[in-house]
Amino acid sequence: MATTVSLPATPHREPSHRYESGVWSWLATTDHKRIGQLYLYTSLFWFLVGGIEAGIIRTQLYGPNQHLVSAQTYNELFTMHGTTMIFLVVMPLSAAFFNFLIPLQIGARDVAFPRLNAFSYWIFLFGGLFINFSWFLHAAPNGGWFGYAPLTTRPFSPGLNIDFWVLGLQILGISSLAAGFNFITTIINMRAPGMHFMRMPIFSWMAFITQFMIVLAFPIFTVALTFLMLDRFFGTNFYEIQAGADPLLWQHLFWLFGHPEVYILILPAFGLVSEVLPVFSRKPLFGYPVMVYSGILIAFLGFGVWAHHMFAVGMGPIADSFFSITTMLIAIPTGVKIFNWLGTMWGGSLRFTTAMKFAIALVALFTIGGISGVMHSSPPSDLQQTDSYFIVAHFHYVLFGGSLMGLFAGLYFYYPKITGRLMNEKLGSWHFWLTAIGMNLTFFPMHFLGLDGMPRRISSYDAGQGWENNNHLASYGAALIIIGTVFFVYNWFASMRKGAVAGNDPWGGATLEWAIPSPPPDYNFATIPQVTSRYPLWDRKSPQITSEVPHGTRDEQKMEVKIAGQSTGTAPAPADTRLNAPNAHPSAKQLGINMPTPTIRPLLAAFFLGCVFVGLIAHRNLTIMFIAAGLFVLSLYSWLLTPLEPEHH
Amino acid sequence: MTRDLRMRWLTPALALLIAVGLSACSSFAPNTIFGAHSEFGHSVDVLTRRLLYAGLVVFVLIETLLVVILVRYRERDGNREAKQFHGNSTLEIGWTLIPAVILAFIAVPTIKTIFKTQAKATPGALQVEVIGHQWWWEFRYPQYGIITANELYLPVGRTANFALTTKDVLHSFWVPKLNGKRDLISNHTNYIWFTPDSAYAWNGFCAEYCGTSHANMRFKVFTVPPSEFDAWVAHQKTNAIGSALPAPAIAKADTGKAAQPPAPAAVAPTPVMNVSDTMSATFPRANLPEWVIPKTPTPAHLAFDQSVTGNVTRGATLFKTAPCIACHSVRGVPTAAGIIGPNLTHVGSRTTIAGGLYPNDLRHLQLWIKNAPEMKPGSLMPLFGKNEKGATPGVYTDQQIADLAAYLSSLK
Repeated sequence: MATTVSLPATPHREPSHRYESGVWSWLATTDHKRIGQLYLYTSLFWFLVGGIEAGIIRTQLYGPNQHLVSAQTYNELFTMHGTTMIFLVVMPLSAAFFNFLIPLQIGARDVAFPRLNAFSYWIFLFGGLFINFSWFLHAAPNGGWFGYAPLTTRPFSPGLNIDFWVLGLQILGISSLAAGFNFITTIINMRAPGMHFMRMPIFSWMAFITQFMIVLAFPIFTVALTFLMLDRFFGTNFYEIQAGADPLLWQHLFWLFGHPEVYILILPAFGLVSEVLPVFSRKPLFGYPVMVYSGILIAFLGFGVWAHHMFAVGMGPIADSFFSITTMLIAIPTGVKIFNWLGTMWGGSLRFTTAMKFAIALVALFTIGGISGVMHSSPPSDLQQTDSYFIVAHFHYVLFGGSLMGLFAGLYFYYPKITGRLMNEKLGSWHFWLTAIGMNLTFFPMHFLGLDGMPRRISSYDAGQGWENNNHLASYGAALIIIGTVFFVYNWFASMRKGAVAGNDPWGGATLEWAIPSPPPDYNFATIPQVTSRYPLWDRKSPQITSEVPHGTRDEQKMEVKIAGQSTGTAPAPADTRLNAPNAHPSAKQLGINMPTPTIRPLLAAFFLGCVFVGLIAHRNLTIMFIAAGLFVLSLYSWLLTPLEPEHH
Repeated sequence: MTRDLRMRWLTPALALLIAVGLSACSSFAPNTIFGAHSEFGHSVDVLTRRLLYAGLVVFVLIETLLVVILVRYRERDGNREAKQFHGNSTLEIGWTLIPAVILAFIAVPTIKTIFKTQAKATPGALQVEVIGHQWWWEFRYPQYGIITANELYLPVGRTANFALTTKDVLHSFWVPKLNGKRDLISNHTNYIWFTPDSAYAWNGFCAEYCGTSHANMRFKVFTVPPSEFDAWVAHQKTNAIGSALPAPAIAKADTGKAAQPPAPAAVAPTPVMNVSDTMSATFPRANLPEWVIPKTPTPAHLAFDQSVTGNVTRGATLFKTAPCIACHSVRGVPTAAGIIGPNLTHVGSRTTIAGGLYPNDLRHLQLWIKNAPEMKPGSLMPLFGKNEKGATPGVYTDQQIADLAAYLSSLK
């Protein structure tokens, strides 16, 4: 099945350069695949941190009146668990896929702004370290990931805790916005010839929609956070209740960002699953156009439902009714997606790889989260559900059962493309079953806890409330998830050395990324491919699958993908292990391809920009702030004055 | 064959999950939102059940379809090729329209219930002001001039209209068995009303994260027959028996006959009820259900000298000049007019202290006065026990604290 290319007998090595290997090659990289991997490993690290936080939370809540940690520490833990999992795990893990996959899927050599891309990563890394550094000062954020005013204002939270949260999220927002503009530009401008929007792979579509949501939603959050920052550091009165502020200002701004954020977290996972299901069903995606349109519709409606998080604040019957109806409406395009995935599998020839299992788990579990979501779209009913464990159950079915399951499907699916080797399926199966059973055991009983009146965000609960059994189950489930994660981590690193060599296309994929070697050469495609349908690789290898799919009428010639100057043939060839040897492919220079040069300047710019925030939190140290700002401007100039491509061309 | 075996795994796995789910649905659920005991609760109940059943039907349909697909279309040894189709407009229009119809069935009663539950309360309703504090509840009955804390008395069959405000951060007022949540918003008054339909004792919680001791901001609701409510009101309007002291005999012998009218002229003399009336005016402790009695363990290293016994008279004298009065009020004690902490006029008649965290008995009161921040994280009440470690130094010996606790307990 794997295609390969004939290689030069002796791989020619370039004279080594300090940016070509070792630590420097990562610090100065502008290669979207390397930046994608940096995002990947950073977010997997934070996933473990957020998981440990969750483990402590579940240990504390195992039984009534337990005090493994103090109430104060517990509040820090649940705040940081939420903040970490949302901003440092699910978003950047999606960003890892955006970085790695979008150029490969659309047939491009890199993103539109490779150095801005590097800057996005470094500022993200800096933001994550900044916000978690608070642990070492015993001042971790403790206002909840939602940071409701006035609890987060200076009179009620005088310490550094909320300062770290406000500034850390400001830093992370810069990263998301820069990346958002970058990917929008990339997708609009850099698609391969023939790749009309309706031929674009569905993951790239969902990524495209997500970027628009980021670009539209994050500025709102930035405004909300800036108000809070001004209140806390410079004495303004946006949320100061003593000065007569209306604290609902924060809630409206926050949820106007916060609800689109939910779709920012879930749409990339939807995209990944929509790539995995067709490949392992050996069928095209059922209703591709409807999948695209429903994604757009979800994104659009996602900006009109924010106040369903606020049914208990007393907005009055008109507002409650409006937001109830819009929330119900958004269930329709979401339901369509579920049915279309079932339609994709219907009549297929299903292969239950680990990636496929995780993708199926998303369909099964997100459905539960979607149904409970409809339950609290009804305000009178929601008044009994909101801020109870029912909500905790609901959004973990959405974010764990949905986002994380989808991202795991993507990780198993694209691991061979990233590393060149396959992950162990047996260990993967262990990981899947432990995670899937553990996840249900943890979060399903929380539905009952919520309906039995257990409020959210409580550091302990009293005995004899009928909550003990379900809390026991939830804690056992968390233990299973942790054990499953150990399997995953071991599998990840062991397979990197011992895994079977993947070849270009281990799964029988349909889209461009499977036409090139694994891992891909830095320039991706030696010749930019010509695309004539949604499934260019299936057109070549398994035309019977795509016979019903629309094809172009004018540019009927089949796709050409050239690697190393050789056309990739359809004839199966024995897998060539040399594909995985470094520099086995001719270099970009040999092929005459201009690639962006590595540079350390985006890292410097990100570092100095981060230092401005350090100066702010260090008791508004103006000296640090001005010096850092000056160095930031200098590094920007230096960045702008460095040519993007090698000068000798 | 192995694949078939693996598929056989899936059904039992799902069955196991469902079994776990059902067993988790334990029968003991004193705070369940189902079967609520107010007309507000009934409207919500009807709606929630409709949502739940509709959701269950959709859940069963989708998950069954998924399992059928997984079993039927799994790759077989014969490596059967997939049937190729990539869309079906009729189907897709169908599964867009059918959910829309289901949602309409939910939307119509939803809108009706919104307008019904958010209409203005009936004119004769009992007015209750709920004021949130970090981390306790202040309840005022403006029609009767009563101020109390952490325990609500409501007459069965009469609509109670709550006006909700907060002194500091956001809180949320929730009694799962009686009403849905309504947030307490700074610089804003919110309303919610409901009519309790049966007499009992219920747990209430703060449901909006409000800082360190959010978990420990609880309250109790006693729904009582109208006659008992009237007796409770009459009793609450009087000054507490203990406050009228000097006679230590009263608290000990509980005869009540030695009670004097309160000394200060500023307070209108009100009749002091005898003890038997007092008892019927509060919810009988013997009838308290197990789950409204707090079981919070006290901090292990917080000790109290068990050999000392408190003296009500000494406690009353000490209280008049103690730092307590900076934050607490006791009607009948002119110096005690603080408004930061809970009103203690009838603190002895309450069943809990510290925002519903501990039962109200001598031992817990003593420990509470000795070191409140240790008893309840973040407590704004400082510690008073001598030699206790904390942010501020304590001044009182165990004997003095026992006296204060005895006095407070006597404020029935």
